[in-house]
Amino acid sequence: MQNKEKLFIEVGSYQNNKHKNIVCGDSVLLRKCTGENRNIAVLSDGLGSGVKANVLSTMTASMAMNFRVRHEPIVRTVQSIMNTLPVDSVRNISYSTFTIVDVDSNGEAKIVEYDNPPLILVRNGKVEEIKGSDTIIHRGDNNANLEERRLKLSDLKLQKEDRIIFFSDGVTQSGIGNMDMPFGWGEAVYDFIEDVLKQNPHISARELSMKIVKQAELNDILRPKDDTSCVVMYVRKPRKLLICTGPPFSETKDKYLAEIVSSYEGKKIVCGGTTSQILSRELKKEITVNIDDIVAGLPPKSEMEGIDLMTEGIITLGALVEILRQGPTTDLSGQGPAWDMLRMILDADIIDLLVGTKINVAHQDPSLPVELEIRRNVVKNIASLLENKFMKDVKMQFI
Amino acid sequence: MLNVRICVGTYCYITGGEELAKMKKNLPEDIKDKVEMIGSACLGCHDMEGVAKPPYAKVGDVLIQECTEEKLLDEIYRQLGMERK
Ligand code: FES
Repeated sequence: MQNKEKLFIEVGSYQNNKHKNIVCGDSVLLRKCTGENRNIAVLSDGLGSGVKANVLSTMTASMAMNFRVRHEPIVRTVQSIMNTLPVDSVRNISYSTFTIVDVDSNGEAKIVEYDNPPLILVRNGKVEEIKGSDTIIHRGDNNANLEERRLKLSDLKLQKEDRIIFFSDGVTQSGIGNMDMPFGWGEAVYDFIEDVLKQNPHISARELSMKIVKQAELNDILRPKDDTSCVVMYVRKPRKLLICTGPPFSETKDKYLAEIVSSYEGKKIVCGGTTSQILSRELKKEITVNIDDIVAGLPPKSEMEGIDLMTEGIITLGALVEILRQGPTTDLSGQGPAWDMLRMILDADIIDLLVGTKINVAHQDPSLPVELEIRRNVVKNIASLLENKFMKDVKMQFI
Repeated sequence: MLNVRICVGTYCYITGGEELAKMKKNLPEDIKDKVEMIGSACLGCHDMEGVAKPPYAKVGDVLIQECTEEKLLDEIYRQLGMERK
């Protein structure tokens, strides 16, 4: 085998609403096409702000995404968008900007840009704008006042540690009118990005997109004048996380379980008392359980050398499902073992679920005060939420 | 120091282990400094079906089943050789 290593792409985004607006006029859609190993990200900024802008951008982004997923030619995609968007009655135009980025696992990126601030490539810590070719597209009918759009198309070959960054004009125009940036943040955002990367060269896509949007918010003295969104796609070595829960079906597999856990290269979470006991016995490491603080009504965490997080099993996993159901959130201040798990999950790209299938006889007791779900189902739920809502690579192994 | 272990594994936790664990914060003054109360991820007893019932706790080497705050305190005082007020 040649060392044609598949590239891993972490996609992260962050958004902020215009001050006092409850909906965002920008839309960001991220999709991972698992079968084909492509990552698609779309950012659209609707004309104006508020609900109207939100509708425009949501329509644009979801059409762009769906056409892209099906490999429709870009001209057709854009024509369809132009023909579908409702026309603004005041300004008599239908308008929303968009940027579409489609990256496969060989690092080939196809980029389409329409009227958003230019997308940038960050390579070796330096920001580069990319050259593309312009294409003009007309509205597909013989309407007298022919609308036309100028799109920028580019192809890029990404390498390890490259980042693609794009944002709505809420970022570049933030701070307009301030003494130190009368015309807004503009290209000074490039310096900001380079500075952040100098301090933290491996910052995750999620954190970097958040930093950029938060700084834009600061430029506007915490009252953003426009909806602000940023998407970062980061090509890097994947971060791995093992979540191990449940005793193996047969006790003869206990050793095997311990081996997988101890030799795993990445972070490790163990959920479940019995599972913890097995590992403690096999790996000859002591477990301590701190009961000083019981947070969020969940059983307390345990500690064992070599394990990054050790929790109770099914109740904690159930609480995690509840949190995951709400989808990606920007508020990560929650306390307790389930939130600790979530934070570790967000930092990982590949998540290995190692699930023991021994039925816990005690859990089947009908006199228990709460119903305990079967581990298998809970874990399957977690897996599909992580894949669909959090764009994680999930592998499951039952033992 | 008398060692007290409260099981906070799933089975014990939902059958009363949570309350037992919370006792750590309000142990009576007279025994507070004489016991060390810690948790256990699972005392390994919860499949003794038909024999005993959760929640489980251990005071020294003595296992208490269907443990309650009362039972736990009684056993602690007994092993410390003190009178419960
Ligand atoms: S859960 Fe308490 S003994 Fe196993």
